[in-house]
Amino acid sequence: MTSPAPQDFDALVVGAGIGGLQTALDLAEQGYKVAVVDRDPSIGGKMIRLSKVFPTLDCSSCITTPKMAAAAHHRNITIHTYCEPKSVAKVNGRFEATITQKPRYVIAEKCTGCRLCEYACPTYVPDEEQGGFGARKVIRVPFSNAIPQLAVLDAENCWICGKPAGKCMEACPTDAIDYFQKPQDFTIRARAVVLSTGYELIPDYSAKAFGPMSGHPNLITSLQMERLLAPHGPYMRVLRPGDGKEPSSIAFIQCAGSRDHTLGVPYCSRVCCMYSIKQAMLLSGALPLADITIYYIDIRAFGKNYEQFYQNAQAMGIEFVKAKPSVVSATPEGSLVMKYENQETGESVTREHDMVVQALALVPAWNPAGVIDAGVADDGFLKATSPKLQPTLTTQEGVFMAGVSAGPKDIVDAIVEAGAAAMEVSNYLTAQHAAAAE
Amino acid sequence: MTAADAPKILILATEDCAYPGANSVGQAHLTYPENTFLLRVREPAMFPEKFYLDCFDKGIAGIIVMSCGVECPYEGAYNALAARINRVYQTMKARGLDIRRLRLTAICTVCNRAFLKEVQQMVDLMNELGAPGSEVKATSPAA
Amino acid sequence: MTDNTPKLPKDERVAVYICHCGGNISDAVKVEELEELARRIPGVSVVRRNTFMCSDPGQQLIIDDLKAGNADRVVVCACAPHLHETTFRGAVARGGLNPYMYEHANIREQVSWVHHGPGATAKAAKLVQAAVAKAGNLRALEPIRMEARRHATVVGGGIAGMKAALDLARRGIDVTLVEKSPFLGGNLARLDRLFPTEDKAADLLASLYAQVTASRRITVLTCAEVVAHSGYVGHFDLTVRRAAPTTTEDLELIARFEKAGSPLGTFVPFVGFAPVLPATAEETIAVATGAVVLAVGFRHYVPRQGEYGYGDNPEVVTLTQLIEALAGEQPGGQLMVNGRAIRTMALIRCVGSRHIPGVDEEDENGNLNQHCSRVCCTASLQAEREIKQRFPETVIYDFYRDIRAYGRGHEEYYCGASRDGVLFIRFEPTGRPVVARSPAGSDNPLTVTVADKLLADRELEVPVDLVVLANGMVPGDTAKLVELTKIPTGADRFLLEVHPKLRPVEVKEAGILLAGTCQAPMDTTEACAAAAAAAVKAAAVLSRGYVELDPFVARIDPELCKGTGACIEECPQEGCMSLVDGKATVNPALCTGCGMCVAVCPEGAIEVNGWTLRQYEAMVDAIVAAPVEA
Repeated sequence: MTSPAPQDFDALVVGAGIGGLQTALDLAEQGYKVAVVDRDPSIGGKMIRLSKVFPTLDCSSCITTPKMAAAAHHRNITIHTYCEPKSVAKVNGRFEATITQKPRYVIAEKCTGCRLCEYACPTYVPDEEQGGFGARKVIRVPFSNAIPQLAVLDAENCWICGKPAGKCMEACPTDAIDYFQKPQDFTIRARAVVLSTGYELIPDYSAKAFGPMSGHPNLITSLQMERLLAPHGPYMRVLRPGDGKEPSSIAFIQCAGSRDHTLGVPYCSRVCCMYSIKQAMLLSGALPLADITIYYIDIRAFGKNYEQFYQNAQAMGIEFVKAKPSVVSATPEGSLVMKYENQETGESVTREHDMVVQALALVPAWNPAGVIDAGVADDGFLKATSPKLQPTLTTQEGVFMAGVSAGPKDIVDAIVEAGAAAMEVSNYLTAQHAAAAE
Repeated sequence: MTAADAPKILILATEDCAYPGANSVGQAHLTYPENTFLLRVREPAMFPEKFYLDCFDKGIAGIIVMSCGVECPYEGAYNALAARINRVYQTMKARGLDIRRLRLTAICTVCNRAFLKEVQQMVDLMNELGAPGSEVKATSPAA
Repeated sequence: MTDNTPKLPKDERVAVYICHCGGNISDAVKVEELEELARRIPGVSVVRRNTFMCSDPGQQLIIDDLKAGNADRVVVCACAPHLHETTFRGAVARGGLNPYMYEHANIREQVSWVHHGPGATAKAAKLVQAAVAKAGNLRALEPIRMEARRHATVVGGGIAGMKAALDLARRGIDVTLVEKSPFLGGNLARLDRLFPTEDKAADLLASLYAQVTASRRITVLTCAEVVAHSGYVGHFDLTVRRAAPTTTEDLELIARFEKAGSPLGTFVPFVGFAPVLPATAEETIAVATGAVVLAVGFRHYVPRQGEYGYGDNPEVVTLTQLIEALAGEQPGGQLMVNGRAIRTMALIRCVGSRHIPGVDEEDENGNLNQHCSRVCCTASLQAEREIKQRFPETVIYDFYRDIRAYGRGHEEYYCGASRDGVLFIRFEPTGRPVVARSPAGSDNPLTVTVADKLLADRELEVPVDLVVLANGMVPGDTAKLVELTKIPTGADRFLLEVHPKLRPVEVKEAGILLAGTCQAPMDTTEACAAAAAAAVKAAAVLSRGYVELDPFVARIDPELCKGTGACIEECPQEGCMSLVDGKATVNPALCTGCGMCVAVCPEGAIEVNGWTLRQYEAMVDAIVAAPVEA
């Protein structure tokens, strides 16, 4: 197999979530050539998977898709999905990035996204794009508004259902299926790099905090709740995953892993208060009779119009209780039993809820160690060298950061910071250009 | 009734919200009746009152304006649209047309259920009302 | 833009291409039948089918037909347009035809995937008929290119304004920086050290100031205000007036500056930098610019007379005043504020912020500050920590609603303050603490009283030497600017961006941008990020020397226009439409293509390029027409 020829760009953006896409667009609009790589088979990051956004309650898909399309169709932007950066090193003042294209088991140039393979595939597995609720095929276009619309096969679950080839291969009209595809490296050369690698939810908090209850189907994560609330979610309505019933009492546990030195991370994740309030509001719209309770330490509604949003939620009858509850057991009917001390009254309380949402802490999705020389701070997020005046500078000259990779933040703050990163990159490139001209 | 002679329903769907919303219904392989004709529009506020009335004159039985609602990207356009639709209602009443033949609604890019509900309601209503103008002689509750 | 496209030829020839999409379309739609039906539509000159129209062989069909002169407009019947409309426009262009002579019929998402019965083919045929009808009414369009001046104006010389000016200058764009007061540095010059880095505000400002004044691209105008504004993105004409300072605030700053006796260009604590002496005479300067960045900042909330005892008791101060006291001389091991030794103090949060309608009192203009000021929580914690570290014996009671130490490194201040022994007492907005003079004979001059739920709502009384009010941020005086630029303000009275989520630094008018705290409370990091984000948007418009816009704008037919002005009244874009010699004209730089003017023109003289009313009428005619018979 021969490696494709290196591609030359002004900037390489790692991560195609809303932050990475905004940086890419702000650079491309100035005429810079930008490459964007993402580990997922689609661009759009976390935002395309959300239901609605606070405090405007805009449909998230509706406001993300135009940005995704703008980037995908921009003449100065080249997007590579399902890729991982393997190494990014500065050679003679320019970055050489070795990028590994993960095997889709589908030849991207041939695939038209027609989904015939998906229809033919006989095997269903839980759909991670729907929070693990609902099912997807082993080979599929990841979700309806994914960009690009290319099929991807999940080799772990594929058992090559037919002989000599699977049903997908038989169904594919363009011979795009290739069971023997291997990871392939290619080279991107760029004069600057932007890291916008986003976050994941803290993986182990639930087990540490709630022990045996952590696997309970009605104890879900905040991102799972996003899917339940999305109009195109797994059930197209809000149902309890454990038994498919409409929950009549839903609780949110705030600071699940955040501000927790012993079981989680010490920092505030910054977005959980607001998205829980938003989810609570959406729930009270979807299930008008349900009781909704938010257990919190401090409500951090600090952004523009956020406090008013919080006040509205209180006026809507959403209950706010200052407490850090523990989930201790489940009832035979599938409800969860919580114990807590009300921090305002000092009372000890035991209370049941049909369903419990953990507002889990945000942790960095990616660590640059071994791939690119960019320092990481004690909190695990990328280290800023000029946090006040130039907050997007990392420890290596020519490497910049945007979005949650530079610390937890909401969409609007990520977009602002992405613009700031694009400005710093532009000025870095302008200075390089001027130096080269001298 | 075959698709060819079923009452025709025109759907004006905004390119930012409702048109992708209709595509999302397709992506999910959901179904709705065939006598529905979707036109992609930038902003329905561009249509004068006459456009709607002409449609009815031409034989369109029902019109659903699927806008972006308050998420409309054009300032002031949604209010102008809503005001215009209200004026069309006045003329429809004067002409004896059932005003339920024209409906203004908001559909988001992933509002599959809302889209199907709107379409089905209009289809049911059209089956009840028949061709435009047929209610002029009949007694109609909204006329 | 002039449109020289000739009137439509009567003998337009439309090429129709039908995609099978593997089987996605052809499984539900009988594509052979559709092909036959399409052939019978008047105006159709060629019909072809392909398994995948988006593939290279599929696109080649289009290119070959156009090069052979088989058609002068193209319809592709395939998937949803957002997937491949640009693909096919590209193929049309490669075939030598204007890319806008193209129409798309969505027969996958809106036919084959939703209609599974025998009617699917007839429905597809109707959509093809409608698309052909529209195609017959297409005209060639060109993108609109407007020249743009490589010059930006930044209004406001605080941290955000200086940062935006510097970023633009580094990008090669000339900048005029307009500052109302005689000093650069803004509100940041009135702070000491910044959380969470503990940088000296003075050092950060000095570094920016040195770069701003060294840049040959930046012209600084102090004592200056924008008094007139006209034009549009790429071409704004501003009038700036320089005059001797008259406001009390400016005169106080000048007095402090003179007292300090520092030379021009050096930092004067709690004042800022004076690049030149304050203006003494009035002058008017015309600034020809391409973009305007507004960085006019905020004001600190000043408590009302009597609010928590403020103004009535010298022992009640704002956080801003405490910060200045801490920055000054503090001899001995005792915290001194206004000449008094402080052993016990109370800090009350959310003063002037998080007001609740019906609970809190409106100000003299009927305003409430419902917003959270975002920075006071951590700034208060920082001050408390500093006091605890420098004067460990000081007892601090902290009356709070929520502690919003949200940012990176902020939580450490909260943990630290708790560790240092700051006593946190929560209050409800309906049960705010009350500050009163202590009874005669007390050790402490003031007593703070609050209901404490932990004590079963019994009153907690705390005698203290000092009460610090954590005052929030309120909008600066933007009234004149708002009047000038027509930028809306929100319910919080801060300047309002066009979309609070996706377009946070833009306003409705292209080429005008928001940077920093004129938009909402922010800390220095956030203000600098916002400034850079605003600068990059300006750079995108200006760095190439031209702006390229979509051709989908309103177009007037001068032969039909009777100059009624109805369109001008309806148009939501200030200055977009005007009457010239009795005819309406459109400034394409300002037109968003919303089409609101189309609806109100009594003569039908306006169309939006690419989305004309005539096209829609033709499509409706096609839909109601008898089906094409095979």
